[in-house]
Amino acid sequence: MSNEVKTKEKVDMDPKYIIKLTVTLFVTCVIVAGLLGLVNQVTLPNITAANEKKTADAIQKVMPEMEGDPVALELTEAMTAAASGAGATVTEAYESNGAYALKVVASGSQGNIEMMVGVDAEGAVTGVSIVNNSETAGIGSKVMSNENGVLDQFIGKSAADGTLSVGKNVDAISGATVSSRGVTTGVNAALAVAGVMG
Amino acid sequence: MNLKKQFMDGLLYQNPVLVQVLGMCSTMAITTSFFNGLGMGVAVTVILTLSNVIISAIRKIVPDKIRIAMFIVVIAGFVTMVDLFLQAFVPALAESLGVFIPLIVVNCIILGRAEAFSYKNGVAASFFDGVFQGIGYTLVLLAMCIIRELLGAGTFGGGLLGPVNAAGTHMGIQIIPSQFPAGMLTLPVGGFLVLGCLIAAMQWALSKSKK
Repeated sequence: MSNEVKTKEKVDMDPKYIIKLTVTLFVTCVIVAGLLGLVNQVTLPNITAANEKKTADAIQKVMPEMEGDPVALELTEAMTAAASGAGATVTEAYESNGAYALKVVASGSQGNIEMMVGVDAEGAVTGVSIVNNSETAGIGSKVMSNENGVLDQFIGKSAADGTLSVGKNVDAISGATVSSRGVTTGVNAALAVAGVMG
Repeated sequence: MNLKKQFMDGLLYQNPVLVQVLGMCSTMAITTSFFNGLGMGVAVTVILTLSNVIISAIRKIVPDKIRIAMFIVVIAGFVTMVDLFLQAFVPALAESLGVFIPLIVVNCIILGRAEAFSYKNGVAASFFDGVFQGIGYTLVLLAMCIIRELLGAGTFGGGLLGPVNAAGTHMGIQIIPSQFPAGMLTLPVGGFLVLGCLIAAMQWALSKSKK
């Protein structure tokens, strides 16, 4: 191999050729996008149903003393502000028997972690259940699947414990610190939201 | 078309991971338990085969200058479709494979084979190339999973066999008592070590067989 810098291959500037390239690529994108839209239309009802079921299951898990169907609550401005103050977003809130289940979204290591956090009438966490996540399989997913009870450690924590943080009053799974932090942020946000809900 | 050569290339002489050194990211990240390796291997094999077939079918109408862009549009569209279908109709499988599917778009084995093989070969040959390269990839993943899981956690078949933990995942069969394994091997650094050793062993074996 020579050390000379090779001059760039001359681009064929024939306008017809360039138009051909553009049109081909554009048509391909349109076809693929159209197909995706079609597939989306076919699959959307099933996916929505599956997500709703996941949410319902998660509520059941984090609200041990649920009676009947939980009531979905409107999110108030104070609630969203409390959540974003803690570094996460609250997307849904349910109430049953004075206890709350809050769906919170916090960022993990690969994407957002969507979790359901149960808070009882006294403001203590009754459970954490992950609804959706894209954490690395075998590493962050250990946190998501509650390995070694890493999600159960939040049960009983309340605003009185101060801000929860990994390494201080929360144990992380080794190698999955970012995922553990994500869940902790979510729980903090849920406690903050429950705080303003009274 | 030479089926036997394609088969041997996929598994040994042109093995996607150990010889072409493609798809490192997924190889490193997910080979911590047997089930992960199997899931990723099967998902990649299926998508690689299908994208190979489609790219081979459209190769005559793809202008040379923008072929990579066309490939990636086809691959990304394809992976998204498979992802949506899995989520909608096989939610249980989507749940366990969920994180692997989006990873496949950026798996350079797919783009690599599109460029190196299916762009230049017929549909049938591309189909078998996808199958064999996929199998080669899966076998290396499984080897890495077994080594890392056994030495790092002392178990075999995690996610598929053995007792079930509180979250409902199988923990694998404990072979080495839990106080002995080197947990480091299940972390990313372990991935590099095991992969390095495997590549070295493969190159040694290949150079020996050539003599």
